[in-house]
Amino acid sequence: MTRLSGKRAFVTGGRQGIGRAIVEAFLVEGAEVITCGRGGKPDALPCTWHSLDVSDPDAVATVAQSIGPLDILVNNAGVQVEKTVVDSTDLDWDLVIGANCRGVFNCCRAFIPTLRSGGSIVNIGSISGQVADPSMALYNASKAFVHGLTRSIAVDHGPKIRCNAICPGWINTGMLEAGFDLASDPVAARQDALARHPVRRFGEPRDVAAMAVWLASDEAAFATGQLFTVDGGMTAASPLNPGVF
Amino acid sequence: MGRDLHTNAPVLPAKQGTNRMGLQNGKVALVTGGRGGIGRAIVDRLQREGAIVYAADLSEDGSLAGPSANDSPFIRLDVTSEQAAIAAMDRVRAEHGKLDILVNAAGIEIEKTIENTSLEEWNRSFAVNVTGTFLTSKHALPLMRAAASGGRTASLINFGSYDGFIADPGLAAYCATKGAVHALTRAMACDHGPEGIRVNAICPGYIDTPMLQSFFTGDGSGGGGKTIDQLQQAVRDVHPMRTYGTPEDIANLVNWLASDEARYASGQLWVLDGGLSAQVQQMRL
Repeated sequence: MTRLSGKRAFVTGGRQGIGRAIVEAFLVEGAEVITCGRGGKPDALPCTWHSLDVSDPDAVATVAQSIGPLDILVNNAGVQVEKTVVDSTDLDWDLVIGANCRGVFNCCRAFIPTLRSGGSIVNIGSISGQVADPSMALYNASKAFVHGLTRSIAVDHGPKIRCNAICPGWINTGMLEAGFDLASDPVAARQDALARHPVRRFGEPRDVAAMAVWLASDEAAFATGQLFTVDGGMTAASPLNPGVF
Repeated sequence: MGRDLHTNAPVLPAKQGTNRMGLQNGKVALVTGGRGGIGRAIVDRLQREGAIVYAADLSEDGSLAGPSANDSPFIRLDVTSEQAAIAAMDRVRAEHGKLDILVNAAGIEIEKTIENTSLEEWNRSFAVNVTGTFLTSKHALPLMRAAASGGRTASLINFGSYDGFIADPGLAAYCATKGAVHALTRAMACDHGPEGIRVNAICPGYIDTPMLQSFFTGDGSGGGGKTIDQLQQAVRDVHPMRTYGTPEDIANLVNWLASDEARYASGQLWVLDGGLSAQVQQMRL
């Protein structure tokens, strides 16, 4: 398992969930991994940690300078607010757009000059950037921004750098549970959601990490500017699955 | 009222025997599946907008139970037969010398997974939905080029489906044929745009037609002991617009795509589904 040996990677949002799984998968594949998040270093994290809010451009630039040359940048850090446009406040805008859009922009701007030739940027987009989840207006829009930026970076910074996005579906993380907790009947909501997945399970963070490893590796040398959906088949199926009625 | 493609000057519609200012005055149209659920609404609308419309179908009643009240000229057409396509276009040529609008609305749906689909059913699906679109278009193109002379465009409208993007269970061959129509639409738009022929596809979601009723009652669609009314309500509730569409909704878009207002619209897949496919999945939360 050395598909990333000799490579240095920076992963944003590595404390938990998808980011943590990517950190661990990269370590298994032989990469040197540096990660970051708001607050202190989590317990038992076996790699370098920077306390960093990606929405702060100066802080991102400082960290980029201190880290030095890189091969892989994973923009995973993100937040979600479950509201419609009308219900969203200015603070919600600052939070969601700050982390999900400005954060990705900040990191790309600061780290692209430090990426070595053959470098790979992996952004975490979302199926929600392609089709809408109800009451997730700013989140949906922020992920569409990530998709657009992914293509722009691929076009502007190839051939030196590749840039792709992963679009996870429903992944077992705190974010998913928070969604179910909002349901009138969380148990029924969970069952209903499962029935809409051809693989009949939700994704695990390691499912997304597996795609991140591939996109970061030299096996993906011809893949750039694309969105890679990992959702257990959910968005391939019509919302009108009669089996769940 | 249209505008000249190059000068942007208004193009006055040709005079018709009606005093109504229709979007399709002076145009000649042919609609395959023109006596079916969606086809009849398209024929009615284009005719009301001033076009001469040929309804082409397997039989005068098409897939519906009763006769059409529409007095449009009828052409018996099996879209899988090249001879029949040639004969249909020969008649249009003899009577009008051009074809401004072709709507390839003929289609069938086999409600099965691929394991349950016989080779014959598979071939039949492709013969009607894909080969039929190919044959009718191929033999209409010379007449459409004739219509496109003089700065106006001709409009060829295929029928894709939202099922060409995302799959309904138990509709494998249908989904595959509609994906093929989407690709064919783009290819034809590339090839024939320079000749003034616009090619688009309409991708309907759930439209109230005999095909939809068959989906509710057919073997492949489940049902789970629910009545058809309950099933239909469940389906409506999954749509952001909380309803499924009508043939008239489709005819509205056909009318626009066929009109000179759409003179810059080509090569696109126009999804008309009440918002169904804009959502990830409508979870029951």
